[in-house]
This record gives sequence, structure tokens and C-alpha cells, in this order.
Amino acid sequence: MQQAILERPATREATEPTEPRSGRRSTLGAKDRTFGFMIALPAVLLFLVIAIYPLVSSIGTSLYDQSLLTPDRTFVGFDNYVAIFGEFMARLGTTLTFATLATIFPVLLGVALAVLLNARLRGRNILRGTLMLPWLLPGVVVSFLWAWIFNDSYGVLNHLLTMVGLPEVSMLGNPTGAMAAVVIAKTWHSFPWIMVVALSVLQTLPAEQLEAATIDGATRSQRFRYISLPHIVGPVALVATLEFIYNFGNFDTIFVMTGGGPGDSTTTLAVSLYQLAFGSYELGKASAMGVLWLILLAIISSAYLLLNRRLEKR
Amino acid sequence: MSHGRDIGEAIIRPRLSIPGRLGLILLALFGLLPIYWLTSTAFMKKEAVFALDRPLFPVDPTLDNFIGFFQNDALLQALANSFIVSTGTAVLSVLVGGIMAYSLSKFRYRGRNAIMFMFLIGQLIPGALLLISLYLMLSSAGLLYTYTALIISFTTFTLPLVVFLLKGIIDGLPDDILEAAKVDGLSRIATMFQIVFPLVVPGLITAAMFAFMRGWSDLLFALTLAGPDKQTLPAGLTQAFIREGTADWPALMAASLITSLPLAIIFILLQRYFVSGLASGAVKG
Repeated sequence: MQQAILERPATREATEPTEPRSGRRSTLGAKDRTFGFMIALPAVLLFLVIAIYPLVSSIGTSLYDQSLLTPDRTFVGFDNYVAIFGEFMARLGTTLTFATLATIFPVLLGVALAVLLNARLRGRNILRGTLMLPWLLPGVVVSFLWAWIFNDSYGVLNHLLTMVGLPEVSMLGNPTGAMAAVVIAKTWHSFPWIMVVALSVLQTLPAEQLEAATIDGATRSQRFRYISLPHIVGPVALVATLEFIYNFGNFDTIFVMTGGGPGDSTTTLAVSLYQLAFGSYELGKASAMGVLWLILLAIISSAYLLLNRRLEKR
Repeated sequence: MSHGRDIGEAIIRPRLSIPGRLGLILLALFGLLPIYWLTSTAFMKKEAVFALDRPLFPVDPTLDNFIGFFQNDALLQALANSFIVSTGTAVLSVLVGGIMAYSLSKFRYRGRNAIMFMFLIGQLIPGALLLISLYLMLSSAGLLYTYTALIISFTTFTLPLVVFLLKGIIDGLPDDILEAAKVDGLSRIATMFQIVFPLVVPGLITAAMFAFMRGWSDLLFALTLAGPDKQTLPAGLTQAFIREGTADWPALMAASLITSLPLAIIFILLQRYFVSGLASGAVKG
């Protein structure tokens, strides 16, 4: 999650059309261009070898019956796809449930906190700083912490519920509770960065427009509805899409808290792929699952890129 | 933002209503109470958290859980591994990414846009999707279960962030400086290392810290590519504490605090850059 914070500036930068700046081309000749290309090579090669090649090679692996334990493999065509398709669809449902809920809640929470923290308030800087803490923690720590809070017998949640006379809840022991638990943990981990992005967007509200509207007699809620809201919707949608893509591939939150259980109620694609490859040693089947996932990811990413470009034009 | 400050300030930053204040308190409690519970459990005795009348604060605080961490050889090894791998990731990311950022920022060549697009897409690929191929590849290269395996994997995933972050900063350097260096007869490599990088040191530090945090926090690769001897803390914690039956929660919370501490220190050091990084990029437009 960490990288996300600075990704928005980054992505904007990236799709920016090459800006023709006067004077540059005249001084930087063909040799400089070659030099520029040469020094880009280490990063490009690293990226091709470690990120792009594995993607392509997993398509190959998905056509073989291959185990993690032995080097030999046999070509099986699309058998792996046939074998895992039912499971893929089931895991996809779980993944979509998790990714959707774990995106909606942090976005609502983050934006709400940003709006509230944008007010004139004593101690708002301290509050903003301390509310960043959840985002800092490694995913495993977040999972351990919430697993402890939700622990059926000794967890503090049930302890507090009993103290105020309410019935205890079983979170990690049943399918619905476990899904709720991982969504809450992920919400707690992600809301700070959405809050920070929303806050920074709120700080660029068009002051002149707001003043003019006030002078023209617009009420506070009208100003929010017609000026502030349209201003923050675009960037928040972009952050939400990114958050959704990350949640779609989330591994640590779920793996540590529930291990995909109880049963397979919280087994998302990432957990399932890990279990297939490193639990059952079925590399071919795991790769087939990965390839289907990759196709979906391409579709979701296109939505993100389109959104990114549209914001760019504004 | 500079003009109309007095009236503007009141409109942009209204005072909070009573329901607003209550909402803020509730949300802040959701954010902060778990942190309190993490910290206070770490100072509790193991018997205390399993007792029937378990307290909500450490009545009889103890440091045993922290001492226990430093007496556990496997965890100490994981702590050392974490520092080695995260530092390696930070150094390699900034070196490779910094050069890449300079290239994208100050040079125009065919393929430049394709490279930027590749990195833009690259940051959306989840680690789980690459896991199997990466495992097979590192295995046949004889790099499985080494620090190198972790460092180059983390670096690759940190590169897009590092490159775009640094490109944004190097973009701000006036071209005149580079031309002056050229006139002075400085070689292109020397210009990069002696002129460009020294001017963007805060950016390099920020990027290094982000890369460090990335390497420090990852679980999936640490669990699969590192093996028992080279695994970092997230994998170490997972294996040390997830067992059948009841876990030693106070010890686990203390270990979690120790795992989080370096990141908290980095954040405190980084906060200023972190906010300005956001201001220069995210706020633009």
C-alpha cells in the first residue's frame, strides 16, 4: 500500500504529453538522445526481466502439468483452465466482495475525515499526523492486531461487549464474520492515505468561486454540493480505482487473519493462487488461475487509465 | 489561495458543528483505539490477557515480551534480514530509479513514452501474479533463498514509484544548469552524479525511505522467495506465531511494535518531504 500515496502525482506525470520546451532540442543533440536511452536501460531491463517476462512465461506454465517439487512437466493444453474454472469463478466472487467493500469503506471514511479535518480546529495537525499511524504499519501487523481484537475468547471486542451487557459476536469463526473482519482490518489500514489525498485536494478548493457563491447567497450545503463536491469527485474516483486494484490483489491481510477460512469463505484469488502453488504444488493450475486473473486486471486497469486520462484533460 | 484569505479562510475552513465534532471523535477513536490496544497489550503479562477479569490497560506492566523478542534467535535473524534486504532495496531502487528518472526527465528519444507507459502499468500488477514465474526463474538462476532474490524483486516493484517521484523533482531543475556543466566540459555521467543528484538529495532520501518501507512490509515474497534463513520480519512473525491453539498475544503485539518502530521513525523523519511531495504532485490541477 505504501507506494500508493505518491502514485497519483506520479501517474499524472506519466501520461503527460511530451512537452515541447523551447531551447532544449537545440542544445541536446543526437548523442545526448542516445545517452538518455542508454541510461534508461538498467531500469528497463530489470523491469522486463522481473515483471514483464514472468507475466508472459506464466501463460506458458499454465499449459503444462507442472509440480513445484519436480522439474519435469507435461503439456496438457487447456486442461488446467478446464480444471480450475469453477474454482476461479468462486474465488472471483469472494475477491470482488472483499475488494468492493474494502474500497467503499476506506473511501467513505477517508473523505469524511478529510472534510472534518479541513475545518478550523485546534490540534488538527496532531490529529492528522496520528491518524496516519495505521497506514504506516506493515500489513501483517495490522492483521495480527485485528485478529487479536476479534479473538472469540479473549478479544477486547467481546470483552467490551460483555461489559456493556451486549451479546458476544463470533467474527473469525464464521464465514460472514470473517469477511467482515478482514474488510474492517483493511479499511483501518487504508483510510489514512485516502484521507491525506482528499485533504490535499480540499486545500485546492477554488476560493474565489466559494466566496462569490457566498456573496450570491449560496448556503453552506449548496456550496458543498455544487462547488466542493464536483471538485473532489474526480481525484477521489481515481484513488478509489487504485485502491480497488490493490485490494483485488491483496494477500497479507487475508492470509494472516483467516488463511482464507473458515472453509474457503475468505479465499480470494491471491490466497488461492498461493495455496495452489505452495500448498498443493500445482504450478500449472495456479498459473492458469493467474492468467485468467491477468485478463480481468487488464480490463480494470484500462478503466483506471481512462479515468486518469480524463482527469488529465480537465 | 493567496488572495481573499480572510473571508476565504472562513468559507474554506468552516468551524465544525456539534454533530461534526461527534463524528470526528468517533472516526478518530476507530483510528486510534487499535493502536492503543496494540501498545498496551505489548506491556501486559501473558496470564493477564487470558484472565477472567482482564484489564483494559497494563495494570502490572512488564517488558518481558520485548525481552523475549530479543532472546529469540529466529526473530533476531529476521530483524537483521529485514534491515539488510530493506536497505539493499532502498539503495538499488534509488540508484537505478534515479538514473531512469533523469533519463525520462531531461532526454527525448524514441520509446520514451512506451517506457513510461510500461512503468505506469507495472505498478498495477499484483505480486501474487508474478510469484510462480519469479520463483521458477530465481530457482533456475540459483538465486532462490538469497538476499539478492528479495532485493531485486522488491526493487522492481518499487521502481515505478521511485522513477515517477524523482522524475517530478528533476523536471523542476532548469536546463541551464546542465548546459553550463556541458560548457564547463563535464562528461554526461559526471553531470548526472556531480550536478543533478546532489541537487535532488531530499527527493532521493524520500524515494529511498519509501523503497525501504516497501521492502520492510512485504509478506508474500518474504514467505516464498527467501527461505527460512533469509526471511524478513513479516514472514518471521507469521511463522513464529501462527500455530495451533492459542497464540502468545502479548509477545506477538510486542514483536509487532518492534516491527513497526523503524517505519514510525522513518515517517517522523519523512513527514515534511512527504507532505510537500503530495503538494507538488497530487494537488496539481
